[in-house]
Amino acid sequence: MEAEVIRAELVLPTHMSFKRIQMYEKYPKGQSKVRWKQLKQIIQAENYQNYDPDEPNYVNIESPPSMQPCKRICDITGFEAPYHDPRTNLRYANADVFKLVRSLPNEYVQRYLALRKAAVVLR
Amino acid sequence: MPFISKIQRQTDYNRFPSSTPIVIDNGASYFRIGWAGETEPRVVFRNIVQRPRHKSTGETITIVGDHDTALLRYFDCSRSGPRSAFDNNVVCQFEIMEYILDFAFDRLGANGSRIDHPILITECVCNPVYSRSKMAELLFETYGVPSVAFGVDAVFSYKYNQLHGICEKDGLAICPGFTTTHVIPFVNGEPVYRGCCRTNIGGFHVTDYLKQLLSLKYPHHMARFTWEKVEDLKMEHCYIALDYALEARLFQNGGKEAEDKTECWQLPWVQPPTEEPPSEEEIARKAAIRERQGQRLREMAEAKRSSRINELENQLHGLEFILQQLGQIQEEEMSSFLSETGYTSKQEIESTLTKVTLSLRKAKGEPKPEQAENDEKTDSSTSEKYPLINVPDNMLTPEQLKEKKRQIFLKTTTEGRLRAKQKRFEEELERERKTQKDEERRLENPQLYLEQMHSKYKELHEKVEQRKRLKTNGGHTNGSSVSGGVGRGERLNAAQRERMRLLTTAAFDRGKGEDTFGARDEDWQLYKLMGKDNDDDDDGPDEDEGELARVCSRLQEIDPTFVPKPEPTPLQPATAEVPHVRPLTKEDFQIVLGVERFRCPEILFHPNLVGIDQAGLDEMTGVSIRRLPSKDEALENRLTSSIFMTGGCSLFPGINKRLEAGVRMLRPCGSPIKVVRASDPILDAWRGASIYAANLKFQQQTFSRSDYYEKGEEWLRRYQLRYTL
Repeated sequence: MEAEVIRAELVLPTHMSFKRIQMYEKYPKGQSKVRWKQLKQIIQAENYQNYDPDEPNYVNIESPPSMQPCKRICDITGFEAPYHDPRTNLRYANADVFKLVRSLPNEYVQRYLALRKAAVVLR
Repeated sequence: MPFISKIQRQTDYNRFPSSTPIVIDNGASYFRIGWAGETEPRVVFRNIVQRPRHKSTGETITIVGDHDTALLRYFDCSRSGPRSAFDNNVVCQFEIMEYILDFAFDRLGANGSRIDHPILITECVCNPVYSRSKMAELLFETYGVPSVAFGVDAVFSYKYNQLHGICEKDGLAICPGFTTTHVIPFVNGEPVYRGCCRTNIGGFHVTDYLKQLLSLKYPHHMARFTWEKVEDLKMEHCYIALDYALEARLFQNGGKEAEDKTECWQLPWVQPPTEEPPSEEEIARKAAIRERQGQRLREMAEAKRSSRINELENQLHGLEFILQQLGQIQEEEMSSFLSETGYTSKQEIESTLTKVTLSLRKAKGEPKPEQAENDEKTDSSTSEKYPLINVPDNMLTPEQLKEKKRQIFLKTTTEGRLRAKQKRFEEELERERKTQKDEERRLENPQLYLEQMHSKYKELHEKVEQRKRLKTNGGHTNGSSVSGGVGRGERLNAAQRERMRLLTTAAFDRGKGEDTFGARDEDWQLYKLMGKDNDDDDDGPDEDEGELARVCSRLQEIDPTFVPKPEPTPLQPATAEVPHVRPLTKEDFQIVLGVERFRCPEILFHPNLVGIDQAGLDEMTGVSIRRLPSKDEALENRLTSSIFMTGGCSLFPGINKRLEAGVRMLRPCGSPIKVVRASDPILDAWRGASIYAANLKFQQQTFSRSDYYEKGEEWLRRYQLRYTL
């Protein structure tokens, strides 16, 4: 290890005195073989429908979809956008921006749409 | 400015008795740990872990928190990005959590065989019991902690400020955090989780949005927009507009106010030194160098030529000698003699001799006799080579017939070649005559001629441009498909569109429900039409472009002021590099933040700007009040008169006023609304927890290892802290 790395104490030491079971004992082969559950799996496993719907739990307290009308802003400039391009599905504010929209290569169009989660995903 | 991590190793661990709790604020962005009863956490760092490999030794090491990037050059960080233990705001990756706790306790100065202090750790609202139990297990088993308590960070922050009189006993706590935003109503000092509301948007999404927008707007500076830098920009420049539409219109009109609000970030850039026009000496020197190089090349060519001539002459002499010898010896010894020299027959020797003499003559540079030779040769060979042509068929054997066919073939090909040469020659003459006429016209009336040329150039340019535009427009019709690049669009050009049109009209002409295409012969003529279309399209532009090039060069010769029109460069965001039509200036390296300043934090109030279909901050307060179990007008008024903001995202300027305006829209007219911000939105959660843990009655709220194992999961699910002690 280089001297300055040791001096900066960058690396986490492998043996900690206050731990009962050290990391290298718990995971002898480096990374743990156990795949930790993702949040989605945890929620599924919990079976929230068995519980009382009145009691607050992780899934209960989520916000409902918005009641306000969707605010339409131009994808490129951020101004208000009353118009919508049927070919690329982008929103634009005026004719100059429209010229820009039509000249964009497809990659950029998809990235702008992905900001709004409106891109076509083929996965 | 961003928080500075505090990771100095503490030395006074042993000063604290076993009863002093350790307080941990386990946030998605930062991890804070310290002793109960103090006002500042001892150790603060970013809640991420990196596991790069050391470049020379190859071992995998762990780095917790963010560190000086200069030191990271010893490590191969390509495979490992920074990883967080959190998924949304719930701890899921407990291995990473363990690394983080290791690091935290180590920096707190822990020594001894176990962590012998009770621990108060924060979690999210209504944490799933899986996460809670795994955390408890980790603390009890691995660290040997005697007792543990779980609390919600927003609540601690509220209690802390309630203590200091900033907010009332009944109120609403709004906590826009790193990955989520919560709204928690408080009644009598206790949080009512029934009325709680959570939206999955936070500071992380704001930074990400800003990063994407800047990368799209300035693609050639994309490497500059790292996550940390964009976070800095966000904290320094972003604000929340009171009314988004108004602000946007302000910028759209582009008045002076918009100019004031626009911030500009100048990237480091050094102007390249301008080249001075070369002086006379320079020019002369360069010309002399070029002369010398030309001279050298000519000498080399000469040397090569003379050596080749020598070679050929030698070969010639050798062959003549052999022929002489052949003439002298007898018939019988001829075959053996021939095998020695390597030639199979006398004719071969003679043919090689003629070839060598020819090439010698060419090398010496005597073109004329060579051509005459050639013509003679062809003439003579015609009569020689095609003796069988004139002989009628029935007099020949089959082999000779074959031979005759071959000779006819050869004859026709050579005649064809001669004809082609003749035609080319005539075309040359024609062109010569045309240019001469042109010259004469020009000399008569230079002005008119120039005008004519200019107009012709413009016409041709237009035509070519239009055709090009048509071609690329065909590409944009396919713009919505994901994998298409610019190349794919060219395939669907006008020809293919025409073909599709013909096919579909043919199909529809038949009438509904019946497909009898092909029953009649005329139907297949359709394909002939389509074939023709294809050819036209390909040949057309070439001619035009060739004509354009000729006119362009002519104009350049005769008109000193003519400048050929460049291709229209694509507009700014489409280029991958800074357009080189003009020299790069300082402005090219400036990042302008105008509308982005208030567009990005706007997503806190309108998550559907980034596609998340949930309520924004102002709507969430309405939802939260609606969800309360008891409907009491007075209570609601009390709640709205003490709206408390905490959490990292509440630091945006202008958020208070905006929230107030938003809540006013939801509440009946005249109800009291007051929005306050925490005294320190970032550290207040830890401070509140610290004061709570320092309380003597804290021990009753914790649970120990035996409790955890005896009482089981159901009890753990119902476990909630009582916040008023």
